[in-house]
Amino acid sequence: MKWKMILAAFCLAQPAAAAEGERVQVTGEIIDTWCYFSGVMGPPEATLGTAHHTCALWCSAGGIPVGLLGDDGEVYMVLKIEGDDQSASGDTQLSLASHEIVADGMLYKRDGLNYLVVEKVVEDRGITNITHEDWGVIPPFAIPKVKK
Amino acid sequence: MMKRLIAACLVVASPLSAADFSEGSNAKSWGLFGESMATFEAEVVDLLCNVAGDCANACAEGRQLGLLRTADGELIFPQKNRQTSFNGAGTDLLPYCGKKVDVDGLMIEDEDLPGAQNIYQIQFIKEAGSAEWNKANTWTKGWAAKHPEAKGKGPWFRRDPRVKAAIEADGYLGLGMTHEEARAATR
Repeated sequence: MKWKMILAAFCLAQPAAAAEGERVQVTGEIIDTWCYFSGVMGPPEATLGTAHHTCALWCSAGGIPVGLLGDDGEVYMVLKIEGDDQSASGDTQLSLASHEIVADGMLYKRDGLNYLVVEKVVEDRGITNITHEDWGVIPPFAIPKVKK
Repeated sequence: MMKRLIAACLVVASPLSAADFSEGSNAKSWGLFGESMATFEAEVVDLLCNVAGDCANACAEGRQLGLLRTADGELIFPQKNRQTSFNGAGTDLLPYCGKKVDVDGLMIEDEDLPGAQNIYQIQFIKEAGSAEWNKANTWTKGWAAKHPEAKGKGPWFRRDPRVKAAIEADGYLGLGMTHEEARAATR
């Protein structure tokens, strides 16, 4: 046990250097990661596309991290978009809520998560994931009653 | 020699990664799939700086912050504070950026969902070693201070100028439908 403690101290003493990035191009949807991962709004599929668009706006404006859900099923946590480092409630990410985009940038993998620095939004296809026909609106109060 | 040390580090780190951090936690359950109570010491770090080496603007307001856990060096991503109105954790973490803190909250892990690992909801925070815990609930107060023009009844997300502008432009579903059309399409 003692040797493990000594070794652990050695390992933890190493400075946490930034990882080497890998240039990637990812196509996918800009999502609200808390709702997607936590299940607070239901299954992950319910937190995508048109059904969840208003909630995605709220969460993005509220500073919850946005991610890019790639066609490969992986989530890429977006830390910067085209020079805008305001990844907590920033304007650029808010304008892309629920949009399908093609992103070119640098990927960093760390402790099970993918972090993405988007250098260029190569293509913005707008909102293409029509989910409200299956899920209605998530959460149900996202669209208030119409005042007469 | 270095290769052996790195391999040994990986062996030692494995059981720590799967360690149980629930002892001493006073976090409240949110009934989430994959949640577990977790309290630990960590350094609050600027994620862009720590992950990608982009440090020129480190710890500035509006950048995402992470928790570098002392026990095992794992980088934890706090996505949520304890408020129930769509609020992130940045406002609660920012005063501590670059400092060691103790945190208490819920860890989200779902091995069947890619990326659902080291995701955290922070409920309490304090500077490491201090006695008094603070509730991680400062986001809406900060929002109100920034948006005096949006003062009024109802939750912040109904009054936020940018959210209102986005909904006015593209509708609740983002497809350009009117309020009535969007409501009818989802009933």
